[in-house]
Amino acid sequence: MRLFQQIRPAPFDKLKAEPSPAEIPRALPMPLLRLDNVTKHYRADNQDVVALDAVTLDAEPGEFLSIVGRSGCGKTTLLNLAGAMDFPSAGSVHINGVVTSGLADAELTAIRRKYVGFVFQFFQLLPTLSVRENVELPLLLAGQTANTQQAIERLEWVEMADYAKRLPHQLSGGQMQRVAIARALVHSPKLLLADEPIGNLDSTSAEIVMNLLRRTADELKTTILMATHSQEAARITDRIVALRDGRIEEIRRP
Amino acid sequence: MTAALTLFIRLIVRPLGREPGRTALTIFAIALGVAVVVAIHLAGTAATGSFQSSLETLTGDADLEISTVGGLDDALLASLQALPYPVRFSPRIEGFAMIEPQKVSIPVFGFDLIGDRSLESMAPPKSFDLDSLTRHDIIWAGSGVASEKGQQLRLTINDQTATYTVGGILETTSSQGAPRPNFIVMDIAAAQKAFSKQGRLDSIEVFLPERDDRRRNDRDWEALISAALPAGVTLKPKGSRTTENRTMMSAFRWNIQVLSYISLVVGAFLIYNTIAISVVRRRGEIGVMRALGAGRAAVTLAFLAEAAFLGAMGTALGLLLGRIMANGTVEMLAATVRSLYVSSTPGEILFTPDVVVVAVVSGMGVSLLAALAPASEAARVPPSEAMARGRHETAARLATGRRLIYAGLLAVASWGAAQLEPIGGMPLFGYLSALLIIAAAACATPAIVDRLAQWLSPVLRAAFGAQGILAPRSLSASLARTSVLVAALSTAVAMLVSVAIMVGSYRDTVIVWLNERLQADFYIQAAGQREARQYPTIDPAIADRIEALPEVQAVDRFRGYPVYYNGRPSILGAGQSEVLSRLGNLGFLDGSPPQQVLAKLGSSDHVIITETFANHHRLNVGDTLQLPLGGQLVDLAIIGIYYDYSSEGGAAIVDRKTMLKYLSDPSPSNLAIYLADGANPESARAAIENATSGFSVTLADHRTLRERALVVFDRTFTITYALEVIAILVAILGMAGALVALVIDRRRELGVLRFLGASAGQIRQLILFESGLIGLFSNTIGLALGTVLSLILIFVVNKQSFGWTIQFHWPIALLLGALTLIYVAAILAGIYPARVAVRLNPIEVVHEE
Amino acid sequence: MKSPSAILATVCLLLAATAAAFDHARPGYQYEFPRDHFSHSTFKTEWWYYTGNLQTAEGRRFGFELTFFRYAINEQGGDSAWDIRDIYPAHLTLSDIDGGKFFKTDRLNRQGPGLAGADTEQARIWNGNWEVQWLDPASDKSPQRLKAYADDFSLEFTLTPAKPPVIHGLNGVSQKAAGEGQASHYISFTRLEVTGSIALNNQNFPVTGQAWMDHEFSTDSLGPNQTGWDWMSIQLDDQSELMLYRMRRSDGSTDPYSSGTYIDPKGRAQHLDWAQIRMTPIEGSHWKSPATGGLYPLKWQVEIPDLEIRLDCATDLEDQEVVSRKQLGPSYWEGAMNFKGHREGRPISATGYLEMTGYDKPLTIGPSK
Repeated sequence: MRLFQQIRPAPFDKLKAEPSPAEIPRALPMPLLRLDNVTKHYRADNQDVVALDAVTLDAEPGEFLSIVGRSGCGKTTLLNLAGAMDFPSAGSVHINGVVTSGLADAELTAIRRKYVGFVFQFFQLLPTLSVRENVELPLLLAGQTANTQQAIERLEWVEMADYAKRLPHQLSGGQMQRVAIARALVHSPKLLLADEPIGNLDSTSAEIVMNLLRRTADELKTTILMATHSQEAARITDRIVALRDGRIEEIRRP
Repeated sequence: MTAALTLFIRLIVRPLGREPGRTALTIFAIALGVAVVVAIHLAGTAATGSFQSSLETLTGDADLEISTVGGLDDALLASLQALPYPVRFSPRIEGFAMIEPQKVSIPVFGFDLIGDRSLESMAPPKSFDLDSLTRHDIIWAGSGVASEKGQQLRLTINDQTATYTVGGILETTSSQGAPRPNFIVMDIAAAQKAFSKQGRLDSIEVFLPERDDRRRNDRDWEALISAALPAGVTLKPKGSRTTENRTMMSAFRWNIQVLSYISLVVGAFLIYNTIAISVVRRRGEIGVMRALGAGRAAVTLAFLAEAAFLGAMGTALGLLLGRIMANGTVEMLAATVRSLYVSSTPGEILFTPDVVVVAVVSGMGVSLLAALAPASEAARVPPSEAMARGRHETAARLATGRRLIYAGLLAVASWGAAQLEPIGGMPLFGYLSALLIIAAAACATPAIVDRLAQWLSPVLRAAFGAQGILAPRSLSASLARTSVLVAALSTAVAMLVSVAIMVGSYRDTVIVWLNERLQADFYIQAAGQREARQYPTIDPAIADRIEALPEVQAVDRFRGYPVYYNGRPSILGAGQSEVLSRLGNLGFLDGSPPQQVLAKLGSSDHVIITETFANHHRLNVGDTLQLPLGGQLVDLAIIGIYYDYSSEGGAAIVDRKTMLKYLSDPSPSNLAIYLADGANPESARAAIENATSGFSVTLADHRTLRERALVVFDRTFTITYALEVIAILVAILGMAGALVALVIDRRRELGVLRFLGASAGQIRQLILFESGLIGLFSNTIGLALGTVLSLILIFVVNKQSFGWTIQFHWPIALLLGALTLIYVAAILAGIYPARVAVRLNPIEVVHEE
Repeated sequence: MKSPSAILATVCLLLAATAAAFDHARPGYQYEFPRDHFSHSTFKTEWWYYTGNLQTAEGRRFGFELTFFRYAINEQGGDSAWDIRDIYPAHLTLSDIDGGKFFKTDRLNRQGPGLAGADTEQARIWNGNWEVQWLDPASDKSPQRLKAYADDFSLEFTLTPAKPPVIHGLNGVSQKAAGEGQASHYISFTRLEVTGSIALNNQNFPVTGQAWMDHEFSTDSLGPNQTGWDWMSIQLDDQSELMLYRMRRSDGSTDPYSSGTYIDPKGRAQHLDWAQIRMTPIEGSHWKSPATGGLYPLKWQVEIPDLEIRLDCATDLEDQEVVSRKQLGPSYWEGAMNFKGHREGRPISATGYLEMTGYDKPLTIGPSK
């Protein structure tokens, strides 16, 4: 266990470069991601569905966690809560020491811009933008201007720089997912949330993507939470969180 | 049947219900388009249909009418009534009175209240007690004018204001719902006096027997009666005057009517867009349906049914809305009709079946026609169709080149149509030309939008970052849809621009003309009535008294008579050409010096005519104009054609001496007063007012007159502008609806943006950017198209239907203001879609499959 | 003495015009022709009444009535031709006796610019296209050309007097009631030979026969309590004529000022006072008007004992009632009659006209409410 390996406060002054969204509240010393007794209910078809039930989980910088379980066990919900896309019904989510509950939309946006990157099963590249423009997008959205270089660097890192001017529909699935990873990492987030990143890929592409993620955790010290069905993929992560019906069944090492 | 119904419910009704906001917007846009057509139709009929109705409810329909310029000698009536035929001859005096102090103008009819049986349809029955008939201050008022017997009314008739007592109230006995009689009846003796028409009758109405022991038909009767009439007196079927007035106004009504369809044309783009969206969005569903065995025809029908449904809802709502809008429109139109064409009171707005037909045909027709293309495209969706997005857009992008070729062909056709002559006085090819150029612009729009978006992309990115790059991209990407929005809005903008340019040019031309024309210092006319083709007279002694004032150098006595020439209402006028040539000004088409032409005018039976008169009757200098004057047919030689913008029917002007030779009435209708050099205008005004005391006349200086003319001018075009604004409103509403659809289609993308760090504000901005870009593109295309359209309007449509020369002129301030407003409105149209976009739950939309 | 239409005018005008300013019929009036055939504007009321019995060569019988009235309503008049001084009502009827139909029409005009009048200079009495033109006004037997056009029929006749005009009453005055001035000047052509044609139903009927013309002018001639009257013109086949009238009073009695005139074949007139006249309606001969409800006796017995004349009077067309349009004037029955009887023991027959007023309701004088 590498608990509290690197405890340091968030670099607040840097956040202020961007006027909107609003400031992120000051945080206490904490692991990068902490889910503390988190419960999440949904209302669907007039029924209360418990998506997560008293989940407690910490993740340290550079740690690569995989979340496994059957469809509907709460993997995606967990990722969304961890990515400040949603609030827990009970318990608290701490991202880099900040509790998301009660934050305004602008504050959540600021957290995502600074700390969080997303990778999706279906890549979700914007079809109208070129590869480079897709990668630039988070920077642009965060209001940064001179960012082409940063995007190219990230593309190089995922070995897709040659395709910078292509449009997404001209790429293969694996290439698209690599571009998506570049996009998720372009702003150097501390936390990468990947929802079934290889769920739609052939095995060769899947292997490339998994290696890329492993490298990301190791070299960039990015904490990764990956939801996956693939036992094989889970095997190269640091810890495996098994979910069942919204509860953590076990946390084990591969 | 059941399969089609199932299809319709699955494919159409449910999705419509799922997006009530967008459905409502589309329906409302169509409704507005239909409403405008309905309102203009209703109001046009009410405003122009009335000059015949009120009197005819009173008298029944006469069969023939006898009249002549300057009025009939009333001895003619006695000789006609002595004819050995069972025919009734009813004398008429017609004029207008101004109710004081409200200054409401109403028609006055002088009847032979003793002998005339035509009043028998009035209630109460002919109870004119004879005692009242011997007095000249007793009037009978329609129930729309006064409410009780004995009431006193102050009326200004010609140059006299006097108090009259209501001797009885006239109510029509005809069908309920008929307008309340809004006129005054006087005995003919009193009417002749009030209007200074002693010994004269304006017309004699002829009522033929219903049955006749010798079985003579209408033509026989016309021949028999004509034989008894002196030369220069015309016998015409009754109602031909109404028909002639209608004919004259038809150009005006036509143009208004055509303009009223603009909103519908704009609406057509929107229907097209709505259906196209439905088709694109439901490709998957269509594929499933097809796979399950639905035929192509069924799919086409389902989407046509969607258009029909939207069209039907829009039409129904439009009828309702149109009826309401007609209330406001009718007085606007009536004011124009009164000031430009003929005095009339607006009639009841009647919801006749033909209005419903017009509404249904236009509303449903436009909807179905616009849906034809996307609906048949839906039928081409193969059963295997996957849910691949972007294919359709790519196809549209690829087709821009072909569309540009169409655009070129249409533009050439438009130019060709503009060269063609009018049909039956209607500039049909002019309208066609306009329609073709609009179509050309619509075809060119995708290419233009694409190109503009590409050009703007780097600029916007530099200026606005992510939204700056995303907005133009998504517009280009959804080109098939956005270009339709741009086409719709730019058509509306173009119409506004073209009308603004035309009206602005026209107004400018008129101002120049007014300045040139109004050279006298003061003008006088009777206070009685100052609407179109009405020439209430003033006492000739007033002119003599004013001329004798030391402050006054000269007085030009003008007398106008309404005449019908070749079935067109026009004006015959007489002025003192000596005064006009010395002190006034007149611009001749061939550039002849006015002094020269006017000197010739006084010398013999010469006449000068206005440009419109010359155009309509195809007359030239050197031709002869034959007019019935004072019981004879007079040949007048045309010696000049001059610019004039005062009346559409045009005018023919002779010298006062010529006129008095044939028509003895010396009363002028207007005076132009030229002051002596160095005379003080203020003291001159006082002296003139003193000279006219005891008479109800209006004295105005040239500035006031000019302002008054411009007020009339502006009022005329108020409705035109209103129509344009509504067209823009329709486009904006439609745009809002279509943007909502775009948002919903791109919801996943918008959700991803949120994951990637976009704030709600940024999403909102993005949508507003897109609507702003649509506004910008529309303004650009609309301005260019509008300028071309204005050329067609000025030099083809106007020239052919009205015959005026208009100098082209840009109303820059007006255009800038309008375009800015439209731009702002377009951005505002993005507010609702932006709200929809912001409210989307990113988690749901990203993960839904 | 035919005033039914006088009442038409009185409807409105009696209040308006003050009688005092007008002349009244007084004894000693100096008649002068042709002047006295035409208008007398100093009298308030004046009329010209043409009635006649005609037939075609085949024997088809017609009766006609053409009446011109003039009523002064504003003695001052005015300076314009249209200013109203007098109004001119007129009635026209045709009795198609063998066809069993009665046609009636009326009109009203003012003088206006020559719309109606009775003018000495033009020797013409007219109202629109109903007119009588004297062809030789200087002669007291001047032929008169009568024309009248209606929707259903038209008349074109030449009327030639067989006898000079007769002046009724005594000393130039026909007294109607006891009061001074309650009288009229009353002139008749008692036998006018008619030739001409009637157009009816797209057919032209050449006709001949005999007509009668009354011309009367007066100012307020009626007395109080007079509720109606019966009047007859009788043209006997011995070339003599009778004119008789009976004024009925509200109590059912006959006013003693009722009278008559006998004109002998040579044209000499003899005044008959009421004591010399018997004119009796026959019980049970009444015809009830479906239009007004009036109950008119259609058979009469006439006796002039002094002349040994006894006649039974009847008609072959029951409905000859003139119903006023719009209820403005009173309705009256005026129709063609035939007479059979004896004179001095010899059989004799006659044609004529009967006028009966005040049968639908008592005549009232003054504006009807």
